[in-house]
Amino acid sequence: METKDALSLESLNIIGPDYYAQNGYPHREWTYLRKHKPVFWCEFPKTDPFWAITKHADITQISKQPRLFLNGPRLLVFVNEEGLEQSPTPPFRHLLDMDPPEHNEYRAIVSRHFTPRSVRPLQPEIENITRHVLDEVTGREQCDFVTDVSSKIPLAVIAELLGVPHKDWEQLFRWTNETIGGGDPEFQAGTTAQETMERSRLGLFQYFTDMVADRMKHPTNDITSIVANGKVHGQPIPQFEMLSYYFLLVVAGNETTRNATTGGLRAFIEYPEQWQKLKRHPELIDSAVEEIVRWTSPVIQFARTATEDTVIRGQKIKAGESVCLFYPSANRDEEVFEEPFKFDISRDPNPHLAFGIGQHSCLGANLARLELKVIFSQLAERLDHAELAGPVERLRSSFVGGIKHMPIRMKMKPAAAAA
Amino acid sequence: MKVVVDQKLCEGNMKCQQAAPEVFEVRDDDKSHLLIDRPPERLRQKVKLAERMCPRQAITVSDE
Repeated sequence: METKDALSLESLNIIGPDYYAQNGYPHREWTYLRKHKPVFWCEFPKTDPFWAITKHADITQISKQPRLFLNGPRLLVFVNEEGLEQSPTPPFRHLLDMDPPEHNEYRAIVSRHFTPRSVRPLQPEIENITRHVLDEVTGREQCDFVTDVSSKIPLAVIAELLGVPHKDWEQLFRWTNETIGGGDPEFQAGTTAQETMERSRLGLFQYFTDMVADRMKHPTNDITSIVANGKVHGQPIPQFEMLSYYFLLVVAGNETTRNATTGGLRAFIEYPEQWQKLKRHPELIDSAVEEIVRWTSPVIQFARTATEDTVIRGQKIKAGESVCLFYPSANRDEEVFEEPFKFDISRDPNPHLAFGIGQHSCLGANLARLELKVIFSQLAERLDHAELAGPVERLRSSFVGGIKHMPIRMKMKPAAAAA
Repeated sequence: MKVVVDQKLCEGNMKCQQAAPEVFEVRDDDKSHLLIDRPPERLRQKVKLAERMCPRQAITVSDE
């Protein structure tokens, strides 16, 4: 970190997707804002103005008041690259853009299936999936950790949870990439970002329409069936909301965990002493997972819109104005974390906000934790050596911080014989 | 020190039980239950940590 503040409020860029693609997270800028202007009015080209919120305490305070700060009017801050008033994600109606009291009704349909107690029985299956994925790269000297490893596991887990048959997993993977990363040229199968996203959205909708019809006739234990047969105010869920629900689960359960996995390994490559520590002390896995999630903070931001005039850290926020919550900034807040720029797998407590906080806090957090626990436990056991074999390529997005490709040279051992 | 868990918000994330097992117990109903609603002062730090770590912010600690 620079000690001299060479930045100025006029010039810093914290929302342009190109910046994120080229440089990764603007931690230097966020650090500057936390120090000098923690509630900062931003007017960027092709972007509706917003207040940038960079302090842990302020993000918490806002997130705890879901009726004062709504999700619905503006889910996130994005740059209108084609000059149109359009969201970077296609139109949906799901938990992310719902507000109380409706939000609670919808969330309650599945929330019990994502508690630590509910996800624990999935562990053996996640272990199998992970072992299989690692077996595939064992014996190789080099791989793209994203394509070959980190993208495969979360997708398989969520597909399993939804009851999607194996033969369709690849297709699901493609739709997910195209929908959330539609602003990135690599994932544009159409001519424009909007067309790409629209096509994936329709693909997913059709796929789940067929699955829902089946689960209504033949209910099973999978999440698809639970949503298909779920009730809101005693009524079945309307079709659009139902399909949006699946879309949310597929997308949210995927990219984020993939990016935490990739970013986690990258952190271990950068901090080899932490890697040796985990190898020697496998019992540190739980705090290691929390630190990986803090360190990577895969979700960059969500926005809220004030329903009435209010004040944050002495700054007046007017009704109708929106605030943009920069979670990775909260997770480097010097007032909360000792040596926030140090990757330390024994950090405890670790009150990071990578999963958000309050009523919209990540529904799948416990599943994500379990996945990361299994992945990094197996890696610690089997991965004897890893180093970058080329530059990482980042996703062009200021919403989800992603690494698209991470070539590594490595030495992966076969799994120990089953006990 | 008085502790209240908002049962409507609680989703059984277990963070409170991990922070202060003397005070919180998450049961099979996926809700956190108070073992003592007025914990002794020596547990303040743990209880405050539970309040802070709750992902749903369902715990309120007051000095009533």
